[in-house]
Amino acid sequence: MADRPADILKDNLWFNNPVFIQILGICSTLAVTNNLTNTFIMSMGVMFVTGFSSFTVSVMKTLIPRKVRMIVQTLIIAFYVIILDILLRAYLPDISKALGPYVGLIITNCIIMGRAEAFGQSNGPLLSFWDGITSGLGYAWVLMAIAFVRELLGFGTLFGIPVLPTFIPRWTIMVMAPSAFFLMGGLLWIIKTIMLKKEANSGA
Amino acid sequence: MKKDGFLYTVIFSFIVAFVFVFFLSLANQITKPIVEATQKAGFYTSVLNAAGIDPGNDVKATFDAAFPGEDPDVVDLFTTQWNGQSILVRRFSGPGLWGTITGVLAVNGQVDQIIGLEIISHSETPGLGGRIEEDWFKNQFRGENIPSGRIVVKKGTGEVDNNPNNQQVDGITGASLTSKSMETIINDTIQRIKLEAGGN
Repeated sequence: MADRPADILKDNLWFNNPVFIQILGICSTLAVTNNLTNTFIMSMGVMFVTGFSSFTVSVMKTLIPRKVRMIVQTLIIAFYVIILDILLRAYLPDISKALGPYVGLIITNCIIMGRAEAFGQSNGPLLSFWDGITSGLGYAWVLMAIAFVRELLGFGTLFGIPVLPTFIPRWTIMVMAPSAFFLMGGLLWIIKTIMLKKEANSGA
Repeated sequence: MKKDGFLYTVIFSFIVAFVFVFFLSLANQITKPIVEATQKAGFYTSVLNAAGIDPGNDVKATFDAAFPGEDPDVVDLFTTQWNGQSILVRRFSGPGLWGTITGVLAVNGQVDQIIGLEIISHSETPGLGGRIEEDWFKNQFRGENIPSGRIVVKKGTGEVDNNPNNQQVDGITGASLTSKSMETIINDTIQRIKLEAGGN
């Protein structure tokens, strides 16, 4: 396990990316990625929650009894998610409306629990916070890449701005959840191929 | 006290749960007025838009001028005389494909013409059924004559139905079930308005 901030960043963005290496947080990948704006806000939300929950778990780690460790982590995560939901509802009502139930679903994002348990439980608060933020970032760029393709082909827009001429037919499938499976599979394939090639090169 | 002991675990869990929930309730209480104000303003705007009244800069003032003394917390059917025309606006909610669709429907005093339709909340598929909140869909209802008191949402053809006399609007391509739900909800609402307004 890397423990220098730069290594953590590299690990979370690429070598040990939460989405395409650890295959975590897939449910939200399917749900929100048909639109770049929603994906962006969802990613920001996940970054916020992962960062702060890892931080809090790390601060409290010496106090938490082993028996109730998991349930306390869940409580901390749920706390930050609900805070986020409350803040969005009060100050960004339009976005809160667009995201609907998905904000609450951040609680079920396994990346957050995974990082709190695997990293926050055994590292210092600041490093854990950094690990949480970068994990969120690793999640964010993969989701944004998928959302880019889905919004472009499904709606012909990017961030709601029309870019494709209207004579190109829109792909209804791209708007619906199954297309995220295809894109996710395709992306995994491409990235694994690149990684394997690099490994083979460095081995030779 | 032993950290893994029974007593410590119970006390620790209790305190942690108490502290976190306390801060949540606090945040909720502090933001409550803002959330309620936003929701109320959104509702006023929807009612005014459905009735074809320009909400202007001060939504609350326009609403009070158009619907004096009608409190949305109490009533579901709003009546107004606007520019000599009597308008009835009814709040509705009904089942869509994935969840409840809520909104307001405005009709004229004789309930034989739809004035307008606004969607307040829904949980239909974004980009498919979710398009019921788009203007092209809602505007089809505007001015539609409904002598029979019913409207038909056709199978989506991709062509907007601008004929105000055929009692039909075009549905959404790829969202037949949501379109069908809208038809049912609108027709139920028209019937309900007739019943409720019939007493006057």
